[in-house]
Amino acid sequence: MEPHDSTVLKAGLQAAVGSTGVGSAGAPATASSMTRERLGQLSGRILDSINTVIDGKADAARLALTVLLAQGHLLVEDVPGVGKTMLAKTLARTIECSVSRIQFTPDLLPSDVTGVSMYNQATGSFQFRPGAVFANIVIGDEINRASAKTQSALLECMEEHQVTVDGSTHHLGEPFMVVATQNPIEMEGTYPLPEAQRDRFMARISMGYPDAAAELAMLSTHQSTSPLEAVVPVATAAEVAAMIATVQSTYVSSAVKEYTVALGRATRESRHLRLGASPRALLSLLRAAKAHATLQGRDFVLPDDVRTLVGPVLGHRIIVDRRAAAAGATAASVLAEVVASLPVAPDAGRR
Amino acid sequence: MSPAGSRPGGSRPGGSRPGGFRSAGLGAAPWALAAAMFTAIMGAALSINGVLLGWGWLANAGATVAVVLASMAAGRSLRLPAVLVPVLGLVVLGLSLVFQFFADTAYLGIIPSGRTLASLKPLLRETSDLIVGGAVPLPVDPGLLLLCCAGLGLLAILMDLLAVSLALPAISGVALLGVLFIPALFKPDSVGPAGFAGAAAGYLLVLGCCQWYAPHGVLRAAGSAAPASQLRRAVGLGAAAVAALLIVPAVIPGFSSGLFPQGAKLSAWGTVSGLNPLITLGNDLRNPTGGGQLFYATDSFSPLYLRSSTLEDFSGSTWAPDPRDDTRRLGPVRMTNRFDSAPGVPTLTTTTQIDSPDFSSPWLPLPYAPESVLGLSGRWTWDPATMTVKALDTTTLGQNYTAISTMPQISRELLSTIATPPRPTLDPIFLATPADTPPVIEETALAITGTAPTPYDKAMALQDYLRSPAFTYSELTPLREGYDGSGLDVVAKFLEVKSGYCVHFSAAMALMAREAGIPSRIAVGYAPGTPTGKQVMVDGVALNQYVVDGHNAHAWPELYFEGLGWVPFEPTPSRGSVPPYAQPIAAPGTGPLNPDDSLNPGAALPSTATASPSAPAGPGTGAGGGTVDLWSSAGAVLGGLAGLALLASPWMWRRTIRRRRLAAIRPGAGAGGSAGALAWRELVDTAVDYGFRIDPSDTPRTMAARLLASPVLAAASGSAGGGSSSHGGAGSRAPAESPATAATAVATLLAACESAQYGPPSEDAPAGLEPALAAVRAGCARRASLPVRLRAALLPPSLFSRTRLRLPRLPRPTARQRP
Repeated sequence: MEPHDSTVLKAGLQAAVGSTGVGSAGAPATASSMTRERLGQLSGRILDSINTVIDGKADAARLALTVLLAQGHLLVEDVPGVGKTMLAKTLARTIECSVSRIQFTPDLLPSDVTGVSMYNQATGSFQFRPGAVFANIVIGDEINRASAKTQSALLECMEEHQVTVDGSTHHLGEPFMVVATQNPIEMEGTYPLPEAQRDRFMARISMGYPDAAAELAMLSTHQSTSPLEAVVPVATAAEVAAMIATVQSTYVSSAVKEYTVALGRATRESRHLRLGASPRALLSLLRAAKAHATLQGRDFVLPDDVRTLVGPVLGHRIIVDRRAAAAGATAASVLAEVVASLPVAPDAGRR
Repeated sequence: MSPAGSRPGGSRPGGSRPGGFRSAGLGAAPWALAAAMFTAIMGAALSINGVLLGWGWLANAGATVAVVLASMAAGRSLRLPAVLVPVLGLVVLGLSLVFQFFADTAYLGIIPSGRTLASLKPLLRETSDLIVGGAVPLPVDPGLLLLCCAGLGLLAILMDLLAVSLALPAISGVALLGVLFIPALFKPDSVGPAGFAGAAAGYLLVLGCCQWYAPHGVLRAAGSAAPASQLRRAVGLGAAAVAALLIVPAVIPGFSSGLFPQGAKLSAWGTVSGLNPLITLGNDLRNPTGGGQLFYATDSFSPLYLRSSTLEDFSGSTWAPDPRDDTRRLGPVRMTNRFDSAPGVPTLTTTTQIDSPDFSSPWLPLPYAPESVLGLSGRWTWDPATMTVKALDTTTLGQNYTAISTMPQISRELLSTIATPPRPTLDPIFLATPADTPPVIEETALAITGTAPTPYDKAMALQDYLRSPAFTYSELTPLREGYDGSGLDVVAKFLEVKSGYCVHFSAAMALMAREAGIPSRIAVGYAPGTPTGKQVMVDGVALNQYVVDGHNAHAWPELYFEGLGWVPFEPTPSRGSVPPYAQPIAAPGTGPLNPDDSLNPGAALPSTATASPSAPAGPGTGAGGGTVDLWSSAGAVLGGLAGLALLASPWMWRRTIRRRRLAAIRPGAGAGGSAGALAWRELVDTAVDYGFRIDPSDTPRTMAARLLASPVLAAASGSAGGGSSSHGGAGSRAPAESPATAATAVATLLAACESAQYGPPSEDAPAGLEPALAAVRAGCARRASLPVRLRAALLPPSLFSRTRLRLPRLPRPTARQRP
């Protein structure tokens, strides 16, 4: 256990968090941010809208909004027909912003996603024709049906928030969020996302089947018309940007940062994991925790926020050791064990 | 506890895996551990001094243990299979023992030959006799030394086996207990400070070294070296505990009553007196419960001594009655003693009925001199020379028998006329003084008896000397000074210290009488007992019944006077009863006692009154009893005060902590934002006091939820949402008028704690913390049972689990499972 490792990581995390505008914690929020009361109202309205469409999935909806406010991307993984796409579409509709949807198929080409330069005979020059990725919210349906080449084209956009075609760079709009759905990799005709690409998604959620009551309600409301039609935008893109700015101004104490680092190190040292959480994963975790804390109405992050999000944020990035997996361990169970055995260090004398 | 950073061999990259260890260098670890174990075993062995006489055994024992441990450490360094290491230790132990004790008969000095085995057998037999028949401290003879070395060597192997091979270092203390067992059982002051301190220090050292050197990494915490402060604290704590255990027993008064008082020894034979009553005599006297009662009813007018055995052979380091099996005759129904008395001397015949319900011994207690014993069951033998009756195949347990005894009516005048030397047919054993008799005995005897003209005058001079005020009766002094038991050296020491009990007085008189030319022997048995107030009908005559028990155990000298036979004397002050012929002549005014109606000689005899002013014979009333009492009562008071202070100190400590915190969180006390964290700490401690268990992985929020759900502070039904409080804004929960005030108080404290610990820095102290804490305490107290409340007040668990709150921030190793 080399001590410098931990300090370097912590410093890196601090710098990264600082670059997103939190370093000036406690300072007045930037001009583009909004009051926390207003944020609470807006987020409540967005979640209410989603809940009218997707019955009994409030947690999934809240997590999707958390990821949006944390400027991450969301991976929704489950068997067909449980409302993955519906969740993505509803979230997109509640916000007044540009939405595009890409249905990934094996023959989809990278240029279909990013755009292509075409020769314009009228002007006599090449003109960039934007692809589907140029939108505020991009729904990538069944992303693991496309070839690896196309997948990576999208993933580059996700990381860089820009598209480079034929040497010229085109910036994507803000906010920018990719909500990708995928079927479990055991299904036919799927190309599993490599670890490196899964790492780009901030969180992965699994919809799961609704409970009996929710399913009954769905059967009665979804018969003739889709409730999605009735959803009207409740927030503008500018408001969402302001919400994001507010999230960025949420205070993160050093205790929480240290707890996050300790959590990451614990996953790397766990005997049951072949691959632990990357520094990028920890960064995502902390950003998501900030959004989560903000949605709870707090202006600071608690270790509880971090713990709530450990499963969705880290679950798809770690790889369970083969022997542990044979013994029945899953990523979720290993993470729960790591969290349960990690002291939270409530040191009062620090401040 | 591991000595951080002192591990030789440098880095150990990921080497905490079980498999990786073997390839790494062991370095000095086995040797250090062997040294630690050597310290422990030899430290514990320090307590053997006192069981064995002197320190002569130490060099051999130390060499044996060192060689054995070193060989095993070498075996481990050379990576011998773990199974073979103890075997190697056993072999080396055997060779080293042969080298030390049988080098002359062994090949090359170490390999045992047939002659070695042949010489081993008698040695062991001799030793076992010594152990069974001897009293501690035993003199160091080769057999005992061999046994001592072998035992310590085996225990060293056991310790190594437990600590290293089986990786159970804590259990390895069993080996040390094995060493301490012997002195604890046989030494009057038990193990003693040196042995205890040595064993404790060695054991802690072994534990520390084992943590450092775990053979298969089983014990090793993954890569975590304990901080130096922890090491310091551990060392300090261990030293304090050992010191306290050394000091406290010395300060508090010992037990002088009860089942197993101080100075009593655990006798493997219970109240049974074995073949050698001398061994148990001192213990019988000191044992407050007495034990082994004998009832007798007699028509004798003088106080009756019951005699069970005699001691005439004064050679050897410890004395034991000689069974004299070759001269014994079967059936004590008609014993032709005739004690060689002159025909003209009038005799007195006494009938005594003796009942022995729970006293067991092979020697039959009888009044002297028995003529006939009736009513015995089993086969008994008697010896014409000593007139003792001994069982062949039974014991005195449950016997009820009648003894007819005859004694000449001895008077002072009669005795003073006897000047003839003992006749030559008398067994020479009664006059023999061993060649190694310490000169002080002869010198003293000659100095006292030098001018006395007749044997009787000499005997009286000896008795008067021993009964003079220079000598004091004490059952405990010999224990303290280390001359408890019997033997020539013991007598010499007694003449120097001038304090002891009947064994010492009688032995001194018997030995000095021999030096003065009077045949002598020591009779062992019982001094006259106390009347029970009952009467027993024997042959139509009502006889007064008396009882004797362990307290009456006694030894007295019998001196031979030609023409009268064996005449008992009483040199022990305050014990027994001085026969009329042995009363001091120069006792004006008192005259010869009429012993008929007094069996309490201490009150009746002026000569004994000087030696032991008032005390009826009993344990603990020896010389200087007053000072001892003063000291022990002062010690008791001090001990009581210290005990009270000790009892109250956790309460006061906890109270101080609470008051300091409450003062700090008061608005305006300057704590500012950290008041919330302090208040939370107090809340956690309060919960712990009332039995709440801390989970270090709890966040304040989850802990609050668990607390409100636990029986410690189970929320009222109205606020069953203790669990739901982990959602929802912390700021939104202001103190409410909810019926569950405890739940509200916890919510207030939680909000304050979270914003203090995790929120942006602020100087505003939250309000309402103190009443909230009071509400939580009241809530806990209301729900707790009385024992829990008492514990929370007197022994607050939070004081003892405080370290758990300061856990390291870096991850501790996850639970390591063996593959």
